[in-house]
Amino acid sequence: AQCQQYLTVSALVLCMDVGFSMSNSAPGEEPPFELAKKVIQKFVQRQVFAETKDELALVLFGTDSTKNPLDQDGQYQNITIHRHLMMPDFELLEEIQNQIHPESQQADWLDALVVCMDLLQRETKGKKYDRLNIVLLTDLNTGASADHLDVIIENLKKDGITLQFFLPFPVEEDEEGGGDADRRGPSHPGMGKGLSREQKNSMDMMKHIMLSLDEEDGLDQIYTFTNAIEQLCMFKRIERRPMSWPCQLTIGSSLSIRIVGYKAVTEEKLKKLWISVDAQTNKREDLKRETVYCLDDDNETEVQKDDTIQGFRYGSDIVPFSKVDQEQMKYTHDGKCFAVLGFTKQSLVHRHQFIGNQVIKIFAPKDDEEWPCRPSSGRWHELKMVAIVRYAYDRRSNPQVGAAFPCIKQDYECLLYVQLPFTEDLRQFTFPSLENNKKFTPSDTQLSAVDSLIDSMMLVEENENGEQVDMFKVHQLPNPAFQRHFQCLHHRAVSPGTPLPPMEPWLKAALERPEVISERCQAPLEEMRKTFPLTEVEKKKKVKTSAQLFGKDSEEPDAKKAKGDEEEEEYNLADIAEGSVTSQLTHRIEQLLSNKNTQYYMKSITCIQAFREQSIEVKKKKNTLTIFHLRKYIMIGLEVFWDLLVQGTISLFTWDCRISLKSFLP
Amino acid sequence: MAEWNAYYHNEDEEEEQEEGEQSGGDYKVTGRDSLVFLVDASKEMFIKGEDGQPSNFDMTMEVVRSVYTSKIISSHRDLVALVFYGTEQSKNPRNSFKHVYVYHDLDEPGAKRVRDVDGLQGDKGAQLAADTMGSGETSLGDALWCCANLYSDIKLRLSHKRLMIFTCRDDPHGDDSTKDRQARTKASDLKETGVVIDLMHMMKPGGFDVSLFFCDIVSPPEDESELGLQLEPCDKLDDLKKRVRAKEQKKRTMSRLNLCLGKGINVAVGMYATAVMTRKPSAIRLYRETNEPVRSKTRTFHTQTGSLLLPSEIKKAQVYGKKQIVMERDEVDTIKRFDDPGLLLMGFKPMEKLKLHHHIRPAVFLYPEEDEVKGSTCLFSALLMKCREKNVFALCRCISRRNYPPRFVALVPQKEEVDHGKVQITPPGFNAIFLPYADDIRTVDAPQCPVASQMQVNKMKEIVSKLRFKYRSDAFENPVVQQHYRNLEALALDMMAPEDTEDLIMPKVEQIDQRLGPLVQEFKDLVYPNGYNPESKPAAKRKTDTGGGAEKKPKMEVSEDELKAHMQNGTLGKLTVPILKEACKQFGIRTTGTKKQELLDALTARLGS
Repeated sequence: AQCQQYLTVSALVLCMDVGFSMSNSAPGEEPPFELAKKVIQKFVQRQVFAETKDELALVLFGTDSTKNPLDQDGQYQNITIHRHLMMPDFELLEEIQNQIHPESQQADWLDALVVCMDLLQRETKGKKYDRLNIVLLTDLNTGASADHLDVIIENLKKDGITLQFFLPFPVEEDEEGGGDADRRGPSHPGMGKGLSREQKNSMDMMKHIMLSLDEEDGLDQIYTFTNAIEQLCMFKRIERRPMSWPCQLTIGSSLSIRIVGYKAVTEEKLKKLWISVDAQTNKREDLKRETVYCLDDDNETEVQKDDTIQGFRYGSDIVPFSKVDQEQMKYTHDGKCFAVLGFTKQSLVHRHQFIGNQVIKIFAPKDDEEWPCRPSSGRWHELKMVAIVRYAYDRRSNPQVGAAFPCIKQDYECLLYVQLPFTEDLRQFTFPSLENNKKFTPSDTQLSAVDSLIDSMMLVEENENGEQVDMFKVHQLPNPAFQRHFQCLHHRAVSPGTPLPPMEPWLKAALERPEVISERCQAPLEEMRKTFPLTEVEKKKKVKTSAQLFGKDSEEPDAKKAKGDEEEEEYNLADIAEGSVTSQLTHRIEQLLSNKNTQYYMKSITCIQAFREQSIEVKKKKNTLTIFHLRKYIMIGLEVFWDLLVQGTISLFTWDCRISLKSFLP
Repeated sequence: MAEWNAYYHNEDEEEEQEEGEQSGGDYKVTGRDSLVFLVDASKEMFIKGEDGQPSNFDMTMEVVRSVYTSKIISSHRDLVALVFYGTEQSKNPRNSFKHVYVYHDLDEPGAKRVRDVDGLQGDKGAQLAADTMGSGETSLGDALWCCANLYSDIKLRLSHKRLMIFTCRDDPHGDDSTKDRQARTKASDLKETGVVIDLMHMMKPGGFDVSLFFCDIVSPPEDESELGLQLEPCDKLDDLKKRVRAKEQKKRTMSRLNLCLGKGINVAVGMYATAVMTRKPSAIRLYRETNEPVRSKTRTFHTQTGSLLLPSEIKKAQVYGKKQIVMERDEVDTIKRFDDPGLLLMGFKPMEKLKLHHHIRPAVFLYPEEDEVKGSTCLFSALLMKCREKNVFALCRCISRRNYPPRFVALVPQKEEVDHGKVQITPPGFNAIFLPYADDIRTVDAPQCPVASQMQVNKMKEIVSKLRFKYRSDAFENPVVQQHYRNLEALALDMMAPEDTEDLIMPKVEQIDQRLGPLVQEFKDLVYPNGYNPESKPAAKRKTDTGGGAEKKPKMEVSEDELKAHMQNGTLGKLTVPILKEACKQFGIRTTGTKKQELLDALTARLGS
């Protein structure tokens, strides 16, 4: 948990156009309204599940009614503050789902922006916020009056409010006048008919505002709806900044340079873990978990926790080593440190040997007025050298060895710190050579097949302007696991009692090959298929599926088996064994076995026999699951019982079956 | 009812699986690995090298010791034995073999064994060996037979069996062809039971001729490239260590997956973790009275009825605010499930698209599994060659296990490299680099700073050049782990104090100072303002510093000449912001900004004109 504390919260106003033009769409396309709603849902969902302290307000414009404090003398009409600034919750999610519909009015988006600014000003008074941000989702299809444009910009600047626009269509950076429909292609709905005069007019105003706020990158904060769903643009904007880690970079005893570090890349995990609850009452309190300690003797004699002490293994020896002693004898160091051990050629530090799960960016400190310049920041990069450093976060954490790479960007310079392995961490495996082996040397035909495959599957291409375009940027993709997790939680929260929804189509598509690539590589793949014979080797030792085990008994193929899901089924046994007889028997067997006594084992075997006969009788494939169920008993320590089964003290299974059973043994 | 608890215990581990995946260390262990050191104890082994070089026997003991200690740290469940042949005395389980001395039976290595091997090193060690074992007749056949018995006496399930012969005699039985034949037979018996026999041959005058005898004893190399036998005999300790290390670690796949290039084109690959963070092991609980380990059992029961609960009687939940969201246990798994395990090729990208800072967890290594899908090696090899030639990496979607969400990896081709002794130092294959998602990348606001002048940069370059060294990834031991094991060793052996460990990741300050000499001061003069102390607290925090008395106010005025000199030297940036502001005032320059660069620009513009 380094650098993970954050400072203050952000405030964000979502301002969505629900006016009638938002429902217009070409046939077969999703109307902008639906897309915009999805963007908002996705975002709020994420905020709710991340349990951030950020506050959120929702303003709708184009509404039939008017509800805002600026509503006076017929001004600021058809703008509704749906929700004031507060932490997002499930209620908001439900409201978005059920209460936000396309409406039939239109409203001036600049007016709506002013309402949002006014809201932020009123509702953030007296509190400290990290960031203030307004997000406008609109098709810009209303005539906006440019009267007070400069005043608005001035106020935005004064209050430090940032803006983001989400539109149904992309924005061309260069002024080209009319819409060049061909270039935009069919991938952006809403562009079919080109832009209306109002839209063009609004677009100019929007650009003017954005460029006034940020001359260089202002236009980067204008997105399309589709982009927004797939990337985390909105989220990234208000994301809180990582904590700084101030330290000294030292070289020898007398040269030290002030630095500050930020965790820049790290593997994020879901913050919340699942808790266990009672299946009937859904209450956590109804479950109790208890850990007991017992001796490794026949009686499993329990001992009190107080009667146990701490020890460690030293190979075959077990050494009692109390916490106090351990604390006293353990390795200690001077704490926080970023000390250069030396410099080495960058080529000697191998990328695949990076260890740990983070990258830290090291800068010159921001607020240090006296900091003269940034010579530390690796201006030595021309030498292709990196610094090998000792890094310790603080006194309590273990020191590491790592590399600091100089990183020179156009607008900043920093060092990138990555942890490197210790001797103990390395596994020096050797593998047979591939090149010197005649049996596996690919032929020229084979090599040229691979050659054309690679050419057809290049994800980075040059466009007509000679710029490189990367069509698959992993670092812009939200973690699919999080997306799916939030989607399912959201669903269960708002519609309990219904099955989980399927994965969202966009997410599914985002995890597949880009369409262009799949099309392009068809022919080369066919060539590969021809030139490289691949045959799956039948494995004798592999765990057999029940279908293979009892192949003779059942002609019907098991649909689920075909998917190779055997383990999942084992897990679901209780639910799947539907026949009342079979489930009763299963229960009985479990009961008997829990006694762990040979006499009961024999009874269980009788049960299994009955089970088996029953299953042959009904010719139902499900019953073969017993085998997998039985496998569970190995796991839970009923080896003796298992041995009885396998050794065939009972004439339950044919010889062939017994062989297969043996293969299950651990 | 202990049985059910074991089941529940597994359930807990499931929840931690993700953690395990990240460290890359959780292999499915199917049995114990075993290793027998079969060491020649003939007189030739004890001959010291020139200039006091250690004898072959000494070198061997050093290696055995290092394997023992590394096993204790990284894989204490492995079994190791130490057997001498060609001894005068005999000691083996049934004492049925003459001239074979089992020093350590096949067992987990412990503190005592490490000490035993220590005792066999150096002159004293040679004396001890002569006293206890002596040197006598040689029958490798008997020695191998004895080792075979060691293996068969073990009741545990052994997954990997290896035997290493350390010798400097290429013709151990002289002209005795019966013994030669017997040894060959025994060796092939051993090999048949799955034991891999390696030869660690060492230097002797006249060279070591493997073809005389040992070529029939050792196991054939894994591939046809005959890498194994062309090795030169070892004459250096480091080489021997490296060779033993390379053989001693059994490679285990983390998982076997299909690399899918397109429909129906599946290449079987094994995934190996080549760098795994070694942590201090977790403590085990012992019963106070007897110091024997206790087992812990965790059970879940109903609070009211007190009855134990079956997995089907438990559901999973998360709470957000006041809202509890409940799911079935299998639903929790389904959420994480995207597709079957495997690697799916998305496409290729030029190498420069792989960013240095896109690092979220240690890389894994991929190598083809011909045993799973025939033809894999050929395709893999072709892909490897072409990726290297075209300088591209393959981007793949990776689902490493059932119900694991996908991650994207960059498959970076790696060429095989061998050292001067033909020992492989880098294996051929792909390194899979895990790439971050948008969630994993944090927004960091880069602070604005003035750019360093060329002179300052050059000075830094000088410093860098002075402190060059050759980095080796295996050069640094983990002081925390080492100290922990030294402590345990001391306690296990009743030593007075643990052995000292050298903290190898401590900067060698004196050496650095000496190498840099006056450079440090020169650099400081160029960069830092007078009296600047980087180690002092930033100005804002100085208020707390009350004991120090009156602080010296920095001199605010600088003469025009001084300023001009600074400008010419490119050291204007050395001046602090207050001084620069003062200077601006002095020259009547009106500045709106307070940023340092703005002040510098304004001054430069004025003075330069």
